Amino acid sequence: MTTTKKKLVIDTDPGIDDAMAIFVALRSPEVELLGLTTIFGNVYTTLATRNALHLLEAVGRTDIPVAEGSHVTIKQVVILFDFAVHGTKKATKLRIASFVHGSDGLGNQNFPPPTGKPLDQSAAAFLVKQANLYPGQVTVVALGPLTNLALAIELDPSFPKKIGQIVILGGAYSVNGNVNPAAEANIFGDPDAADIVFTSGADILAVGINITHQVVLSDADREKLEQSDSKYARYLSKILGLYYDYHKDAYFIKGVYLHDPATLIAAVDPSLMTYTEGVVRVQTDGITKGLTVFDTTKKRYGEITAWTGKPTVKVAVTVDAPAVVEMIMQRLTTDD
Amino acid sequence: MGSNEQIHRDKLIIDTDPGIDDSMTILMAFRAPTVEIIGLTTIFGNTTTKNATQNALLLCERAGHPEVPVAEGSAEPLKGGEPRVADFVHGSDGLGNLFLPAPTSKKVDENAAEFMVNKVSQFPGEVSILALGPLTNVALAIKRDPSFASKVKKIVVLGGAFFAAGNVSPAAEANIYGDPEAADIVFTSGADVDVVGINITTQVCFTDEDLLELRNSKGKHAQFLCDMCQFYRDWHAESDGFHGIFLHDPVSFTALVHPEYFTFKKGVVRVETQGICTGHTLMDQGLKKWNSENPWSGYKPISVAWTVDVPNVLAFVKELLMAP
Repeated sequence: MTTTKKKLVIDTDPGIDDAMAIFVALRSPEVELLGLTTIFGNVYTTLATRNALHLLEAVGRTDIPVAEGSHVTIKQVVILFDFAVHGTKKATKLRIASFVHGSDGLGNQNFPPPTGKPLDQSAAAFLVKQANLYPGQVTVVALGPLTNLALAIELDPSFPKKIGQIVILGGAYSVNGNVNPAAEANIFGDPDAADIVFTSGADILAVGINITHQVVLSDADREKLEQSDSKYARYLSKILGLYYDYHKDAYFIKGVYLHDPATLIAAVDPSLMTYTEGVVRVQTDGITKGLTVFDTTKKRYGEITAWTGKPTVKVAVTVDAPAVVEMIMQRLTTDD
Repeated sequence: MGSNEQIHRDKLIIDTDPGIDDSMTILMAFRAPTVEIIGLTTIFGNTTTKNATQNALLLCERAGHPEVPVAEGSAEPLKGGEPRVADFVHGSDGLGNLFLPAPTSKKVDENAAEFMVNKVSQFPGEVSILALGPLTNVALAIKRDPSFASKVKKIVVLGGAFFAAGNVSPAAEANIYGDPEAADIVFTSGADVDVVGINITTQVCFTDEDLLELRNSKGKHAQFLCDMCQFYRDWHAESDGFHGIFLHDPVSFTALVHPEYFTFKKGVVRVETQGICTGHTLMDQGLKKWNSENPWSGYKPISVAWTVDVPNVLAFVKELLMAP
């Protein structure tokens, strides 16, 4: 029996937990993966593209296309344009989390380079094309900074209305961030793009680290992965070590946060989380750059605020963490 | 204890922008046996600084303490410009549009920052400051005297919204928003700071029933306060759909004299001074070891009120307000 599968594009910066999320998607009968688009974050964009191609090859899914995304933030896109036109340039450094994922993004395993190539199309153009091909039916799961999505919105102002849903791993709602006390890494990576996407009017579901920090892969789960014969589990067992070491050192926990797989599950089975609706704005400068502030609109403010009148989004507020972990484990420990 | 024995009373300066809940607090503090109010300093916020000074003088007279000095504070935030004044909350006179006759007493010649510095130098380690408005005066005192932060006993601040929505915007609480630069100076000054945010103070309220109980009490200032509260109460109904009033300032005073009714968490707090989140208070809870330096690194942690024993705080506030 074939019911309609949810059409998915994963925008990703693989990344150890990105690899898991991509594998979970490939193992989810509820979804059809239309493609991967790449972005900087855990690694630079060129390496993200290489890793995306490599991961698909590692599990024999070269049928899925990869479109390379922006190499720089949306502000830098503008700056580079200014450079081309006016010859002015101001360089800003991208934040790359190689200390979390290894210099190759996949736990320093020195995998061979992929044989495949990305599409000729940019990530933003690919996203716009898919949205036009299947209006209202495509879900984008955004696992890195939101530059490609903001560029898609710039490319086609009707993109927010045509895209089915954007499920975002990003933000820290009423908790500290993970880059610094204010900001979560994906939003911090391109706060201007994030603010564009959050206020675009698209159907958005945001999963912050207040949720994903509850979804932990324990040492016991890791052992189960290591004992599994599935090709997905075998691959992941190789790359998880570094990620475990980082979590032990930075968070004093035994286990790893499943940021990306948990967000993927939110797209596959939204019933495992609860959501509150409101306006999210992103601070784009100052010491709290990358801060996500969620207005649940329960209070009427005396004055007009930056949140007033903006489109609302859904923000995950609770999660059935054991069920999410179980679903992830079930999918990764069984083969096709 | 002999009847002649002096009860030890902690020296207190209240930096205030009266303000309806400020007025409740000042009248409460004059009745509290464990504190000695050595002065009021004034600031903009609920009303203009000039109005706040008039109101502070009036309140001292009403409390029967016209001898308590009132020092006028800054008319504008550190960076200059028009101060934000919440007259839509407290009325154009700051006292719920009661338009009381002018006070007969006068403010002192020193300004607020000078007054704070002088008192704290005169009694090092003995003077606490209860800051109920924007923190301009306290920041100016810190800038004026580098030893102020170490000589002041404690600064209890009503301000901020910790991991909760603000009341000026989703990002900012009014007192911090009123002078974010000043707040950042005070929080990172190294002084012993306890901060009580609206995540705490909005848990403690007077409902219409409580207000009626106050009106029917034998409290010395009960009628006056209830008259004043009407305007404030109507604004709460309009803004929050809540029939009653939040006790922001009285709760902060309670945190000073009865810290045991609260729990506190320690952490470095910084204030955003730019962009849409201007006035946002952000505390590093210390749950993660940061991989590199960030704007929170290297500052002395302050105490952020984390939970509140609502029944005990309410009982204390009522006891002082309803005392004949």
